[in-house]
Amino acid sequence: MVQSNRRGSNALEDVLASLNTGQKPPRSVIGGIIVVFVLVWAGFTSFYTVQPEERAVVKRFGEVIGINDPGLHFKVPFGIDRVEFVATERVLKQEFGFRTTGSRGGRTTYSDAVLEDESLMLTGDLNMIDVEWVVQYRINDPIRFLYELREPTRTLRDISESVMRRVAGNRLGSEVLTVGRVEIQSEAREEIQEIMEQYRAGIHIITVELQDVVPPPVVQPAFNEVNEARQERERMINEAQKRVNQEIPRAQGAALRTVAEAQGYATERVNRALGESARFSAVLTEYRQAPEVTRSRLYLETLTQILPNIGQILVVQDGQTGPLPLLDVNRTGDRRREGEGSR
Amino acid sequence: MKIITAIVIAAILYIVGSTVFFTLDQAEQAIIVQFGEPIGDVITEPGLKMKAPWQQVRYFDKRLLVWDGDVTQIPTLGREFILVDTTARWRISDPLQFLRSVRDEQGARTRLDDIIDSVVRDMVSSTDLEEIVRSQDWNVDVEQLEDPALAERDDVDLSQSPKLGRELLEQEILARAQRLMPELGIELNDVRIKRVNYIESVRRQVENRMIAERQSIAERFRSEGQGRSQEILGEMERELRSIESEAARQAEEIRGDADAEATRIYGEAFGADPEFYAFFRTLESYRTLGPNSTLMLRSDSDFFRYLEDIAAD
Repeated sequence: MVQSNRRGSNALEDVLASLNTGQKPPRSVIGGIIVVFVLVWAGFTSFYTVQPEERAVVKRFGEVIGINDPGLHFKVPFGIDRVEFVATERVLKQEFGFRTTGSRGGRTTYSDAVLEDESLMLTGDLNMIDVEWVVQYRINDPIRFLYELREPTRTLRDISESVMRRVAGNRLGSEVLTVGRVEIQSEAREEIQEIMEQYRAGIHIITVELQDVVPPPVVQPAFNEVNEARQERERMINEAQKRVNQEIPRAQGAALRTVAEAQGYATERVNRALGESARFSAVLTEYRQAPEVTRSRLYLETLTQILPNIGQILVVQDGQTGPLPLLDVNRTGDRRREGEGSR
Repeated sequence: MKIITAIVIAAILYIVGSTVFFTLDQAEQAIIVQFGEPIGDVITEPGLKMKAPWQQVRYFDKRLLVWDGDVTQIPTLGREFILVDTTARWRISDPLQFLRSVRDEQGARTRLDDIIDSVVRDMVSSTDLEEIVRSQDWNVDVEQLEDPALAERDDVDLSQSPKLGRELLEQEILARAQRLMPELGIELNDVRIKRVNYIESVRRQVENRMIAERQSIAERFRSEGQGRSQEILGEMERELRSIESEAARQAEEIRGDADAEATRIYGEAFGADPEFYAFFRTLESYRTLGPNSTLMLRSDSDFFRYLEDIAAD
């Protein structure tokens, strides 16, 4: 840059010198006007501005002599020096399978065009998949960018498509759709970068980003069906589990109840036995004091107690065929019971 | 008049300058041609150059150029028709040869079309589709698939890794195409398969197959859900029965123990006087008679005797 400026000022001095020497002999007005015109034209075409995001590649007679940074610069006029601007600082973007048409009201709008040719590709299991992606890149070497490839941007597009198809083709469709995204992005980026290095294209790939990765439109309902079925599977399992959670604790409660009831029975049974035997033992002790009397007493007490309840007594005698009715205490028994009840 | 002289001199200078001097751009190389005959070496260094006024300059691009093939329909070895779109990069490596054999880029393009198209056609039609789609390092563990049904494809062998794969196939195409390049003065940098797609009719079939494949997976999920549900419910049933029977067993054991205990207690107590116990117990059982019972007595039983006494009273 310093060099080119120095050269530029030399050239300017040359022009001014020739102007001074040329102006004296003709003394003609027309000649003067021509010279002034040429001077003004040269002045206007000798300066150029490089924008902050750009670099300027300066060529003298077609040969690159330097790159200039942003700012105001001088060049030799009359087409001897030519300048080409390259936006090296800007992050550039190529879109595949979709196009951004602009942004309206803060929202980015996309073209409705179906770019199926660009996005439809085959996966390793020979299924089809629709992949949209973005390649972000920067021009890191303006001279290479301009003079190694005639169509660097088109080349980048071609290579991106080729690489993305290779990477997707080396995977199963299900992988591309789900878990493989990050890997695909980095693999594609590296591979595109490698090829760009090989071309010496002066392009640095910043990222490769997958956008929508979907099955072909016709197949999408079937893919949704799989998701629904998966949900349904979970639902069925959950419902069964729910029933288990309802029934098992209930059954456990019921089991505890059964055991507790049995324990209650056991306690009752043993207690009754203890009680009854205690009673019997007590009665027996008394009975042994006076067996005959006690026996008769017990008989009579019992009879007194049960007779009100007896409807009919049949007496059976040995040698007789049928039972011999002795007493029909039914009615009298009833009456007596009524009498007792009122008493 | 001096002005006119000056203008004439300027015009002559300009004509001489423009016929003697020429600039060569950074992106270009040139050959000087004299009466149709190339003179001297190829000029590759850019800058201001000189030539004789009667000589002509032919410019050629020095950079890598893009060749983009037409989308061609080619059958693979497996008889599927696919659309193949190739792209290549080339440069004019020998401008003299280039000038002689193809004259200009237009001519070169038509030759490249012929050569690359035919090589691609040869290679693709003698290769299986898998080879074109997959790469050398294709490695899919069929056991690890999300759904085993996917591995049971009759048309595609998923585990088989390709003999060549896409990169080697591209290299092979490049190698074959390169053989014919030196005589054109062209250096072919690479040939790449840009796009591979099914033709429309095959595409429909593949879509249908994908749909069927997905539906089978969906079906599998559903029946898996039913299966798991049944399994869980069966397991529940087993557990329920086990809980219930365990409880019943415990209950019976407890009851049995209690019964045994009671029997022992009774036995101990009643064993003291079995005869009296029988009497005592008989009386007890009479007490439990309900209303309107019918009592059958032997006429010679004690009970009857006492009953007669009461009736007589």
